[in-house]
Amino acid sequence: MTLAQLLFVLALAAVLVAVVGFGFVVISSAARRGGGSYLDTGLIRRLQRYPEERAEFNRWAFYAHRFTGFAVFAFLCLHILDISLYALAPQAYDEVHVVYGWTPMRLSECALLFAILFHTFNGLRILAIDVADLGSRVSRRLLIGAVVLTALLGLGGSAIIMAPVLT
Amino acid sequence: MSTPARHKDGEFRPGDRYDVPARAAGGGRLFYYLTVRITGLLLTILVLGHFIVTHITTDVAETDTDFIARRWDSVLWLLWDWAMLTAAMLHGAAGVWISIEDYTPDHEKRRRRQRLLVSISTLLFVLGLIVIAAAIF
Repeated sequence: MTLAQLLFVLALAAVLVAVVGFGFVVISSAARRGGGSYLDTGLIRRLQRYPEERAEFNRWAFYAHRFTGFAVFAFLCLHILDISLYALAPQAYDEVHVVYGWTPMRLSECALLFAILFHTFNGLRILAIDVADLGSRVSRRLLIGAVVLTALLGLGGSAIIMAPVLT
Repeated sequence: MSTPARHKDGEFRPGDRYDVPARAAGGGRLFYYLTVRITGLLLTILVLGHFIVTHITTDVAETDTDFIARRWDSVLWLLWDWAMLTAAMLHGAAGVWISIEDYTPDHEKRRRRQRLLVSISTLLFVLGLIVIAAAIF
């Protein structure tokens, strides 16, 4: 591993730590003042209520939106730095770029894809709720649609990203 | 507050439409709202397109300096990346800004963290601009 690659891997680890830490902040804040939308043994019971009473799904969408948004932004900060090597030190850029092809990095790219997809579709849902003044029933259905689309496109994209190292 | 629609028994039910009370459209709030929504809409195309080009149609292992040099020969891709950089930094910084607002009750600490966020975002944005400008000149 060259110095540039080592620095990139360390920076990536720092990004992951920041993202996990942010996740804890979101969850613990939800537990304090989010009206019960937090991870505990009551979650399964709460989600088994009648659909009309399940506004909690929308709150979970909010937390997931925040978390995925932060994760993508944190990676973006690192990504600007590593792309800047292209102009500042092309040799170092090519070294760092090799890391992108490693299996663990490809796995993080799959995670990044899922985060981007969820944030995109849920973001479009939020826009639709505002613009078309949708009620809670329709917005809940759209949320299910966003999650299904994220899962389908995420799995398909991940298969393509992982294919070169799996075969 | 305008009155939300009620059922005959006078009850509100989940799914009823509530008319949103007219909020004084303060300049800052409206600007923030529009910035996040408009950049978000742009980013759906810019970021997904970027991800498709660098991971789906081209394997990520092929995106070396040659790949960038070839792509940045075209004005369209330079414009694309400039627009993506600008929209993403605005959108991301705005999102983290409001998260800091929510999770930092202490006023002084909040201002410090938001100043730090603005400094880091501005530095990275300028760095990105320099890299794109270097590809042009």
